[in-house]
Amino acid sequence: MKRKLANVLVYVFLTVVALLSVFPLVWMAVSATNDSQTVLSGSLTPGRHLLDNYRNLLANQDVWKAMSNSLVYSLSQTLLALVICSFAGYGFEIFHTRNKDRLMSVLLLAMMVPLAATMVPLFQMMSKMGFLNTAAGFVLPSVSTPFLIMMFRQSARAFPHDIIEAARIDGLGEIRIFLRMFFPTMRSTYAAAMTITFMNAWNNYLWPKVIMQTNDAMTMPMLTANLMSGYVVDYGMLMVAVLLSTLPTVVIFFLLQKSFTEGIAGAVKG
Amino acid sequence: MNHMDIKAKAPAKRRLSLQKKQNLVGWAFLLPAALLIVWMCFYPMLKALLLSFQSGQGARLSFAGLKNYAFLLKDSVFQQALKNNFIYLLIQVPIMLMLALMLAALLNNRKLKLRGLYRTAIFLPCATSLVSVSLIFRSMFAVGGFVNVTLMRLGMIQNDINWINGSGETARAVIIIALIWRWTGYNMVFYLSGLQNIDSTLYEAAYIDGANPLQQFRRITVPLLRPTILLTVILSTNGTLQLFDESFNLTRGGPSNLSITMSHYIYRTSFENVPKFGYAAAMSYVVFILVAVLALVQMRVGDKR
Amino acid sequence: MKKLVAVLLVLVMALSLTSVPAFAEAGSHKLTVWCWDPAFNIYAMQEAAKFYKEVDPAFELEVIETPWNDLQTKLTTAGMAGDYSTLPDIFLCQDNAFQKNVMAFPDMFTDLTASGIDFTQFGAAKTAYSVIDGKNYGVPFDNGAVIQAVRTDILEQAGYTVADLTDIDWNRYIEIGEDVLAKTGKPMLSSTAGEPDMVMIMLQSAGASLFDAEGKPAIAGNDVVKKAIELYATLVQKGILVEVTGWDGYIGTLVNGTVAGTINGCWIMASIQTAKDQAGKWAVTNMPKLPDVESATNYSNNGGSSWAVSANCKDTALAFDFLAKTYAGSVAFYEDILPSSGALATYLPAGQSDVYAAPQEFFGGDTVFAKITEFAGKIPSNYTGAYYYEARDAITVAITAIMAGGDADAALSEAQSTVEFAQGV
Repeated sequence: MKRKLANVLVYVFLTVVALLSVFPLVWMAVSATNDSQTVLSGSLTPGRHLLDNYRNLLANQDVWKAMSNSLVYSLSQTLLALVICSFAGYGFEIFHTRNKDRLMSVLLLAMMVPLAATMVPLFQMMSKMGFLNTAAGFVLPSVSTPFLIMMFRQSARAFPHDIIEAARIDGLGEIRIFLRMFFPTMRSTYAAAMTITFMNAWNNYLWPKVIMQTNDAMTMPMLTANLMSGYVVDYGMLMVAVLLSTLPTVVIFFLLQKSFTEGIAGAVKG
Repeated sequence: MNHMDIKAKAPAKRRLSLQKKQNLVGWAFLLPAALLIVWMCFYPMLKALLLSFQSGQGARLSFAGLKNYAFLLKDSVFQQALKNNFIYLLIQVPIMLMLALMLAALLNNRKLKLRGLYRTAIFLPCATSLVSVSLIFRSMFAVGGFVNVTLMRLGMIQNDINWINGSGETARAVIIIALIWRWTGYNMVFYLSGLQNIDSTLYEAAYIDGANPLQQFRRITVPLLRPTILLTVILSTNGTLQLFDESFNLTRGGPSNLSITMSHYIYRTSFENVPKFGYAAAMSYVVFILVAVLALVQMRVGDKR
Repeated sequence: MKKLVAVLLVLVMALSLTSVPAFAEAGSHKLTVWCWDPAFNIYAMQEAAKFYKEVDPAFELEVIETPWNDLQTKLTTAGMAGDYSTLPDIFLCQDNAFQKNVMAFPDMFTDLTASGIDFTQFGAAKTAYSVIDGKNYGVPFDNGAVIQAVRTDILEQAGYTVADLTDIDWNRYIEIGEDVLAKTGKPMLSSTAGEPDMVMIMLQSAGASLFDAEGKPAIAGNDVVKKAIELYATLVQKGILVEVTGWDGYIGTLVNGTVAGTINGCWIMASIQTAKDQAGKWAVTNMPKLPDVESATNYSNNGGSSWAVSANCKDTALAFDFLAKTYAGSVAFYEDILPSSGALATYLPAGQSDVYAAPQEFFGGDTVFAKITEFAGKIPSNYTGAYYYEARDAITVAITAIMAGGDADAALSEAQSTVEFAQGV
């Protein structure tokens, strides 16, 4: 009886939290179907302006160019960051020595300075290397982040060292051990890291707005800023753009979220 | 890999050289990442440090020693921003992380129905664009808005509260609520992935021993998630002390700078006001030192092997 | 997981092939422009290019859409990095930010004084924004002349007409406002809380500035500032002006008919006109003036921007000629852009044209454009100063303090020392 009651409470609690969480998204989706005036009245009734808003957006902005740019930049950053940082996290933990621990602490410092302070020197570097308006310019400053390294290091801590020892005795090379043993075991960490890196890259605004200086290099957050810069803001059209720019993160999360809870599937024990 | 032959010949020597070799392999694994950080972060940081000892407007800078840092002591907006950041840190981070941990523990239960749906829903806020977040939070907390109407119906308040522009306390409260709303699901993701590394047989054993879910949470989940919790604490501390978006978009730092954050003030000093990059760099270094010290303390406390 | 990674890899590689082309070479007959707002500035630029093509058939113009905030960040970054090679030939600059940017990065701008552009044809108050040390750095563009837009239907319910609100002072305005509020339940005005626009509008309407001629802050003991803030506080206390949160909240009060009018730069008309159901119910007139202030007028300015030529412009002769023959020399051009963009000129000859004299049905058949151009010529100049944004923030803090019942003189002294501090850093 008591257990049943607790169960009901859990569902009620989770449902309330879930509803609170999705409310703005629902509001955004509803707003995308209304005209600007109706959006500003705070209406929660769906309207019939979705197609108009979308057509206006297409006439106003090169949305699909911005979407594909954002996708290229974000996916490149995610994949490179995952490779580089998981190698590093593994190196720091599995082969850990006092000096490596010290280095890790020093590297951690890199995420603690506000971007506004390092932006000018970074811009100078990118400009000199000819990386303005390129994916390389977007990706380079954030492809190796102390946070991801630390995330992989922390999860490598739970990785059983005797398995590695056993693999070495079996004559497996270090890279192979990483690829065959560590990588499949840590799928939940990879999935989480991937979601979070992608989201950060996708929503990055301050840096791209400095280095992207042509219409062809524009990203989705920059496009959204464009829509809000005029004397007249069409909030219905804006909401379509915002909705579109939210979708990729939601899709990525939805695809990957199973991995967070499937976890160690046989790889360790098998 | 031919350590089998070495093993046969000189066991003591092998141990040493193997250790050395392993050490080198470890370095090879982490070198690309480390070099990139040195190149893309430390080098610009060094330049910013040099900048913080220079003073002047725009590009006309000259060496000024510690003048910028001395000015910080007299800058009331900066001090207010510093105070605000610590209020956000001390109130928001503990609430958010506990909530995230609780949600992760609940959602990790394999018997729970609609798990995927709940997980996605709770993650959604941090994927939602800031534009719509600030639009909707402003309208919800407006005078005559949803929050005021609800509170009045419940009889908790008599008159409308001007949340965002009325007073520093309410403006900061809105920022804290927005932060918790936006980032709880994000932190939950770390915990969910961390929970996978905990052997489920531990819970089964605890269940047989008669431990209730709360005891299981306190005795198994929290201690074993320690590395992940440490990670999120450091991340959230860093994120909160560098908080920019909510201050910039939601309250615009107001009323009277009572909800402004340090990053917002740094941005304002660099890009909205007459650009004073030397001064902005000095402020950035104060943020840097604060975060670094806090991270160090947190690691000392939380990072036990 | 593996499959997903593989798919993503292929996707990235496929998309990378369609990678971003290099920055366009700034050769002859071609200019690059940074500006924002497709319906307004960008549209005007593209039309200007069409006009200039008649002079130079090989002329090409590339507009890169850049919101003002982003543009300022890009200018500052390039300026601090000492790397002007990334700048376009021409960019649009907010009038309030002109002095600041020229002071911080003097060699980022090209001096236009001897460019052949005739600056006498623009409203004096407007040109003053981009004149630094007697040199012209900007070609004035859009009009920020302040209008009072009112809902005639709401006024009518309370027994008033637009004429009752024309050429009055704020004391009279408050009387009418109280009456309208009592009879219709609607406030006269709305404004964004935490933004001092209304106070700044009042200041300029009396030709008052927050700085003296030497650029020193003149806030403490400034009676006009004090009067404007007290007036603003009265408007709020009496419920004649309702403060809302954010720009969206402000526009919402206009298009959803929760207020009887607004006082703002004339560009606000474009937003008002998005409420199609209110066509014919709006009228435009001038703003109330400050009572008991000798220099008070019914005219002011809020917002607006001007074109600057960057130091990276390789072909300044082309840029000068382009600007001189369109923005600073063609009434036909201004006639062309007005109907679809509502972009009102500060180019005074344009005000005489027939297009400007056409009645506007949305505003009750009034010839609002000619009216506003006339307003523009009567605005008193004020001195923005490089530290405009610092002063603006300080005034905002003072307004909050005074509205909370604090001592006005003390609040203004505080604001004065805040700005002095900023100048000293």
